[in-house]
Formats: sequence, structure tokens, C-alpha cells
Amino acid sequence: MTTTLQAAPSSGRVAASRLARAGDALAFEWTKLQSVRSNRWTLIAAVIVTLGITVIVAESIASAPGPRPAPFDPLTASFLGYAEYTVLPVTVLGVLVFTSEYASGLIRTTFTAVPRRGSVLAAKALVTGAAALVAGELLAVTCFLLTQAIVSGRRGGLPLSHPGVPGAVLAAGLALAACAVVGVAAGAIIRHTAGAIAAALTVVYLLAVLCMFLPGPWNTRFGRFTMPFAAYQVVSLHQRAGLLSPGLSLLVVIAWPVIALLAAAAVLTRRDA
Amino acid sequence: MPSAVAIPLLVVVIGFVAGCLTAVARDAPPRYLPKWAWALVICAAVPWGGLAYLAFGRTRKPGIPLETLAPIQPYDPGEPPAAASPPAPAQPPPAPSLPVQPLQAPAQSAPPLLLHRRPSVSAVVIEVNGLTKRFGPVTAVDGLSFAVQPGKVTGFLGPNGAGKTTTMRVILGLDSPTVGTALIAGQRYRDIIRPLHEVGSLLDATAVHRGRTAWFHLLALARSNGIGQQRTREVLRMTGLEAVAGRRVGEFSLGMKQRLGIAAALIANPAVLLLDEPVNGLDLEGVRWIRQLLTRLAAEGRTVLVSSHLMSEMAMIADHLIIIGRGRLLADTPAAEFVSRARRDVLVKSPRAAELALLLTAGGATVSPDDSGGLAITGMDAPGIGELAAAHGIPVHELVPRHASLEDAYLDLTSGSADYHSLTPPLRPGGPAEPAEGAAIR
Repeated sequence: MTTTLQAAPSSGRVAASRLARAGDALAFEWTKLQSVRSNRWTLIAAVIVTLGITVIVAESIASAPGPRPAPFDPLTASFLGYAEYTVLPVTVLGVLVFTSEYASGLIRTTFTAVPRRGSVLAAKALVTGAAALVAGELLAVTCFLLTQAIVSGRRGGLPLSHPGVPGAVLAAGLALAACAVVGVAAGAIIRHTAGAIAAALTVVYLLAVLCMFLPGPWNTRFGRFTMPFAAYQVVSLHQRAGLLSPGLSLLVVIAWPVIALLAAAAVLTRRDA
Repeated sequence: MPSAVAIPLLVVVIGFVAGCLTAVARDAPPRYLPKWAWALVICAAVPWGGLAYLAFGRTRKPGIPLETLAPIQPYDPGEPPAAASPPAPAQPPPAPSLPVQPLQAPAQSAPPLLLHRRPSVSAVVIEVNGLTKRFGPVTAVDGLSFAVQPGKVTGFLGPNGAGKTTTMRVILGLDSPTVGTALIAGQRYRDIIRPLHEVGSLLDATAVHRGRTAWFHLLALARSNGIGQQRTREVLRMTGLEAVAGRRVGEFSLGMKQRLGIAAALIANPAVLLLDEPVNGLDLEGVRWIRQLLTRLAAEGRTVLVSSHLMSEMAMIADHLIIIGRGRLLADTPAAEFVSRARRDVLVKSPRAAELALLLTAGGATVSPDDSGGLAITGMDAPGIGELAAAHGIPVHELVPRHASLEDAYLDLTSGSADYHSLTPPLRPGGPAEPAEGAAIR
């Protein structure tokens, strides 16, 4: 065993600006995220499956017999497969960013390398959110173009330049990043994979389902503040009654991950690792 | 309609976010969090209700800020360390208790305002002061104070459950202390900038992601503290993992994981090393490798704190011993002094043992039966016993002066404070959890 150590121990603290340290934390999390094969494959598989589902959904809408259902919205139709399926693996990916470290104990190494827990959380959320955002935007544009291409001949599609469409497509990609960040925060708070997935999926799916079963005006009164309803409003060509305006809905989609992150920061900083 | 909902909602959301952000920036728990959260929920149903609740609702008492729970006290050399009192007064002290070395005052104390400034010259690198850590009803560490000096390997010993790992985790800022402080070079770990350059640690070698290669595990850690690929390659070479760097850690044996953990601890060439049970589960070659490595690291002027529950291990490595039991300090002493203070006795075997025992007792010695059937005698040396026996014509078959090994001295010291032994039988005969009765000197 040839053991060659540097002669002198570190003389002390290395000067590092806040910016440099933020960069360190980001590089740390990015290296960890991209160096696990399952993460890459999860994203790639999610993209491929989403495209497949989108084609199937578009085909079934285009070839539906009889008169078209009253408010046919080619914009919303583009994101049906995307909303029903892609959110799931991406949210789970976000959850695993924290829970896999808690499960293996690696989280303690992480916190000794970057002792400010807020930085760790922010870096994880940023890196995961950015990965999901890139995947989300690519998917959103592709899904939109695919669906319009399939639908256009039979039911009339939309061009990407149609007023309101570019914003909606971008927002659809953003929603995926929001789901990933909700997953990160849930993982940080709950620490166990199964529980964190349940909690994250409650926020990104189940709350909306619960709200739909409420009586009277209360279903939309609460429902408009859930992520699926808000995202639905954002990607609709025509506003739905009872929901918030598209701008406010987008705010709701962003508010959920932000609030979840703040709760996670509060828990992380006061809890023993 | 939108504005009627939007305005109160926005006010609540912005207030909530601002409150949380300030709290996070201060690295302290946010106050009034439950109230803001409830306001948000109320706002969703009754737009102005949330604002009304914020304005007129009952305010819960904010949680106690962390600072009051764990005060940052400047070190006070005048005050005797809390653990210097005899350990566990309720129990009979098992052996003549060793004097606890008074803590040395650091060259410079660290006033709270200057926490970010490192004392220029300090004899003490790791300083634990009045540390208490409770987990609910369980007190894991109880008023522990000690200091660790550079240039030596310091052994941190105690039976299972004595609080070694908890202490190390508090030093590393992973757990926050209930009372007291744990400082490294005058700073809390959490306040150290790029801490891997100061402190390398190995708490649990198996705490790695199974799906990541050794190379990326180390590279990620290196990047977290602004270090690059070259140093990563260096530590891989240093620990002999170069050939397996591209393999995923899940395929590693425990010994390889231990090496990886050591590599991670050394990644930024730190001046302080904290290793928790580094030789657990290692083969002989691995044990020897770690032993040599630690000795060399200490010789380079680094501060090395190594925990273990096995004295035999520490006997080979440590220059200085800190021994704890049930979270309290039992001894803080140079290793050589520890063994020289250990008990000695003489084993005597004779066909007329009862007669000899009476004579010896009359001569001022203490006689107790030995497990092997002979007599264990303290208070008289072997020549004295031999002459006494000869003078009375008693035949002596064996006359063996015995020195307690380091292990025995350790057992004597910790047997009274070993956890679990009254609850469960010891798993290993002769292990540290063995009961004190019979003062096992073998």
C-alpha cells in the first residue's frame, strides 16, 4: 500500500464567497444526480412513455365517432397523457433525491460536506427542478406538436403561434418541474420513500380528486387551489368558470412547491440528521 | 371575483414566504409558521377570512429559538469540568477511579461575536464543553467535557451505547446539543466554511449510495468543497481503490467501503479527523493499514479522534484515551498512564491454600479466590509471598505476578457503567458488557 499524503495538513479555512459556496452545493448535487443510472433511465423512460401515451390519446380523440364533445380544446388535449402519466415518475424522482440518501445514511455525509441544510435543500431542489424543467419543456412542445399533427386533419388543430399557446406550452413544462420540487420537499420532510411518495402524490394528484367529491360550490372553491385544477386552467384555451384566472392559477402551481420547500427548510434546520 | 380572492391570498402567501425566508436565512426555525399556514387554508375557502385570522386570531407562543437551547458560551477555564465529579455516584465505583485530567485552557477563548475567526494558535482543536444530548427521555450524553489535542491519536472509548457516536455527531453538527457546546478550532461545525478542508469524518462506511461508482461518490464530495478531479484521483490512489474506482459501491466488500470512507474523510486534506469505529469488520490486513495510516496522520500534526468499543484495538493505536460510560466522562488520560495505574496482583497456587490465605491476610494482603482455583493476592508482591510461604513451610506450586492488561483496566473502569448488561446477557463472553462482579482479572 503506497500511502502518500500531502506533507502539511490544511492550514485552515479556504476563502470562499457565498456565490462560490452556492456553486459548490449545486455541483455536489448535480454530480450525485447524474451519476446514478436509475435517475437517467427514469427520465428517459418517462419521456418515451409520455410520447407514446400522447399519440394514443390524440388518435382516440381524433377518431372519436359522432359529434365532437361540446368544448373541444386541442390545447388541453395535448397534455392529457402528460398530466396523467409523466407527473408520476418525475415526482418520484424528486422524492428519491432525498429519501435515497436518508435510506443509505448518505445524508449525514452530505450534511457534513455542506452543513447549512438550507443550502442542501435549495441545491437539490434547483438541480432536480432544472432537470425536470428541461425534460418538461421538451415534452410539452413535442406533445403539443404531435397532438396537433394528428388532430389537425380531422378536428382542426392549433399552430404553435396561436395567441396564448406558447405561454401555455411553457407553463406545462414548468408544472412538471413544480411536481419534481414538491417531491424533493416531501422527501426532505418525511425521509421514508413510501410515505414521501404518498404525500407528494397527494399534493400533485389526490387533493384535486378529493375536492371533486365535495358538495356544491366547495368543490371548485377548494379545487381551484390544487395543482391539477390550476394546471388545467393554465393549459386551457378558454377559461373554465369557477376556477382562478390563468395567471393566478400559474401562481398556484408555483406556490405549492415554494410552500413545500419552506416547510422542508423549517423542518430540516431544526431536526437532527 | 379574481381580485377579491387574489389580494388576501397574495398578502398571506407573500407574508408566509417572507417570514420563512428570513428564518431560513438566519438558519433558525421560523416563528408563527402554524398561524401563517392556517391563514393560507382559511384564505382558500373564505378569501378575507385568512387576513382576519392573521389580524385577530390567537397567536401561539413562538417556539424557543435554538440559540437559547444551545448557548454559545465562551470557554471558562476557571470552572471545573462537569464530568470531573465521580461517575455515577449511585453505584459503587468499580475500581479506584482514575483522576480526570483537568481540561487545558485553549490559548484563546472564542467570544461569540468572533465565531467566524479562527484562533491563530490553539493547543486544543476539538473541545467539548458540558455537552448533554437527550433524545426524549433517554440521555445519551450527560455533561460531557473533554478536549482533543493535535499530533496524537486520541482513542474515544466506551461500551456500546455509551454515547460515542452521538458525541461525534454533535461535534459534526448533525445533531444539535441539548445543552453545552462542541467546538472545532473555536467554531461550531455548522459555521465552518467549506468544512471538509478542516474536518474529515467517517461515521458509517456503509452509508453510500449502492448505485454510484466510487469515483463519482468521491468526486461529488470533492466538488461540494471546491476540490477537483486531481485530488479525487490522489485519495483513490492513497487508499488503494484506483483499480475499482469505476465500479459501483454496491459491489464493494465492507473492507473496500471502509477504505472508501477513509478516502472521503481525507478528500480535502483536513487537519482534523473524526473516525467512528473505523476498523469494525475489517480483516487483519485492513486493521493494520488503518493503524499505520492513523499513526502517520497524527505524526503529521493532525488531530485524530478514533472511537471504538474495543480496548485491544485502541491499545495498538492510541496515544491518549478518553473513556466514557453512559454518556459521562470516566477517564481522560494518556494511554501509558492508564495502563500503569491498572490493578496488579499475584496468582498463588498451593495445596494448603486455606492456611496460606490466613497467613497472607494476617500479613496485610488482600486475598480473593481466583477462577483458576488459586488465590489472587493484592497488597503484597511475589517475593514477599514466596518468603512468607517458605518461612511457614507451605509448598507453593505457582507464583505468578500479573499485570492487568489495558483491556482489563478498561473493563474495570467501564463495567459499572456499561449499558444493557442488567437487561440482556452479554453476547460475547468477556466483552465490555460483562458484569463487574468478580472484578475479572484473568
